[in-house]
Amino acid sequence: MFEPSTLEERRRYYRDEWNVNDLPDFIRKDLSKREFGFDHLGRGPNDRYRVFKTPDMLKRFMRYRSPFAAYCSVAFYNKPRKRGEWLKSELVFDVDAKDVPVRSCGCDSVCEICLDEARQIVAGLIDTLKQDLGLKNIHVIYSGRGYHIRILDETAMGLDSEGRSQVLKYVVGAEPPKNKYFMEDESGQKPYELEHFSIPLGYPAVFTKRIKYAILHLNGTEKMEEVNPKLMKDVLKYREMVQKDEWGLFKNKIGPIRYRNLVEGISKLNMGLVDAKVSIDLKRILRMPTSLHSKVSMRCMEVKNIETFDPLKKAVPKFVSERKGY
Amino acid sequence: MVLISYLNPFSSEGEDIVREKGSIEGIFEVNPELLQLVRDSKSQNISDDSYIPKNYADLALKRVEWYLRRKNDKKYNHNDYAFLINPKIAKFDVISIYTMAQAIGIKFNPKSREGRLLVESQGKLVEDRLEKLAPIERKEVVNNLLNQMITQDNIKWTSMSQLLGSKKINLTDMILDQGDVVLEKEDFLIRFEDKIEGRVPEKMYDLLIGEKIKEMIISRMIMQKTENYLQKVHEMAPKIEAHPTLLEIGEQISEKIKELSYFPGSGGSGGFGGDIKATQLQPDAFPPCIQKTIEGVGSGNRNDAIVLLLTSFLSYARLYPSVFRNEGTSKISDIDPDLQITINEIIPLIFEAADNCNPPLFDDDPQEKLNVIAKLGFGVNKDPELKHEGESKWYTPMSCDKIKIHLSSLCKPDATCKKIGNPLSYYNRKRWELRNSGDKTPSKSSESDSDKD
Repeated sequence: MFEPSTLEERRRYYRDEWNVNDLPDFIRKDLSKREFGFDHLGRGPNDRYRVFKTPDMLKRFMRYRSPFAAYCSVAFYNKPRKRGEWLKSELVFDVDAKDVPVRSCGCDSVCEICLDEARQIVAGLIDTLKQDLGLKNIHVIYSGRGYHIRILDETAMGLDSEGRSQVLKYVVGAEPPKNKYFMEDESGQKPYELEHFSIPLGYPAVFTKRIKYAILHLNGTEKMEEVNPKLMKDVLKYREMVQKDEWGLFKNKIGPIRYRNLVEGISKLNMGLVDAKVSIDLKRILRMPTSLHSKVSMRCMEVKNIETFDPLKKAVPKFVSERKGY
Repeated sequence: MVLISYLNPFSSEGEDIVREKGSIEGIFEVNPELLQLVRDSKSQNISDDSYIPKNYADLALKRVEWYLRRKNDKKYNHNDYAFLINPKIAKFDVISIYTMAQAIGIKFNPKSREGRLLVESQGKLVEDRLEKLAPIERKEVVNNLLNQMITQDNIKWTSMSQLLGSKKINLTDMILDQGDVVLEKEDFLIRFEDKIEGRVPEKMYDLLIGEKIKEMIISRMIMQKTENYLQKVHEMAPKIEAHPTLLEIGEQISEKIKELSYFPGSGGSGGFGGDIKATQLQPDAFPPCIQKTIEGVGSGNRNDAIVLLLTSFLSYARLYPSVFRNEGTSKISDIDPDLQITINEIIPLIFEAADNCNPPLFDDDPQEKLNVIAKLGFGVNKDPELKHEGESKWYTPMSCDKIKIHLSSLCKPDATCKKIGNPLSYYNRKRWELRNSGDKTPSKSSESDSDKD
């Protein structure tokens, strides 16, 4: 598993297994408005600005070239060959299992545990995207080593980079919500202190979920400037309270200043839950669903149900199953 | 009840006022009605004639003066400008802001110091004016404004994309549900009452939303409308011949800004005492992200770190550290006319940092050498030459927010980072701190001569 594929294996994959009709509808529709890019040698996508007017043309290309990796743009253009006349872009969140900052497995690359944790993170992000932000037309793609959330909601596709960056910060919980609130007509009064965990709605509730996930999955080796080894040790010691949503008790055990430090530290880690550059880039190319992730020999594919999806059952190409020793 | 245009000059009521009274001809003429109204304003200081705007042009300049003094001058006295908070001024005020916007839009870029001042001051004025209204009237006005500006039942966060894009509003400051920005108490209770335990839901609404969020949205939307109008004027400007009066007012506004942008010891925009003039680089004042970049960056982040971050930071830190205070569009040759500093000091430092990368940046990607030159404003060329200057833009350093996203591995904030939003501001602040501590330590005071403003 997770070994690179040979040219011969790629050829077999694109000849025997791959079918252009398996491309998700959101790619097939307006195919000719997207830019395609390819990596033929495993050194990154340097064959760019390609356009396919029909699925058949793409099919011929893939069968003939059997690329190391295939990508298509999140952007739609009137002139995709020159990336000209940009129309709109999918809003994308890229959760790469190997880069998730809080992983209970602590492995160096990718394993079953961190792939599953990436899946849990994706499910959490989708909840927020739907419930808080009311976004629709959300697609999840297993990328081979993680997941892409691709949103084709028309209301969000025209957002600029800064708008996308704000959505990103909201859904991942990248900044602690304020904890001092003022009552109307009480100017000059002391503010009310409300911690995020005592506000069961809006961004504070999203933030609480993300912080909870992080605390429960810390393995103790994570580096946060605000969190020294003694604090980390105490967090691990008392995290059962967080599991039971006994936040007040947990904060008491940790202490208010150290709690604030912890929350600051985790909010910075949360920024690493997704690859921010992908989300704010309006002209990014992303791995094409149905194509092969040749570095790990996994199929990039659309996920119909993120709750039950198991990449090791669904995304393994035949040639891998037939490899010696698998 | 106050006029809507008192708060939103870009409302249809405001447009009507401009159509009715907005003749450019009388803009410098003494207006007795205005004089009387200013004198009658509650608490208005009338001990000196210079406090009193005499015509529309004067009123526009007073707005600039008010905003800058309020922001920077410790001796600022609200009573000098009490007329700005008099609702009866609405009709004059509308004409003055349109005059300002046209004068600035014709003469300057909407993102210029002048443009930004107009937008920010309008937002601040809306806040101040709302604050001075009686609570009941304030609520009524806010609801009227919202109803006028937002036509649908619920505001969708996506309809605020312009406000999000220009960072006037943070998504995390609003209460969102199913894509809606929740603003009304009844709506809040319907959506969230079941979720709230151990607290009174109504009180929770008052704390989390109340009128505050509505007012914030209103002031930001009006700022955005101001900016949009400015942009519209700027785009139209080349197609029409500008009225000399507007050009003159634009010039006066610019002069006023120069005059009032720095108040000694104010701690405001000029408060750090950062250098106006080019000075030697002071590496011990570099922020952590820059220090890490100079030490060398791994593949993945190298290109952005060297070409976008370090190139702009070093060039501005060396030549024009006060760029964010002074604004305006500058070229390197304005400060370094023969490009000797650029060629002999700045570029070698950038190239050295590129060599420290792992693997060295230019070995892998020689094209990036050209990009460094381009980011300094000399187009895509091998060396900086005066004849190519202006072919590209001299990029200012990216903000800390952008660094967190683009180059998160370099962002290891220290205590000073918490007080600033751009590496260049860090540099100015840190130098100021070092200089202050240097005053007590003779060995560190060698910089002080060249650092004087």
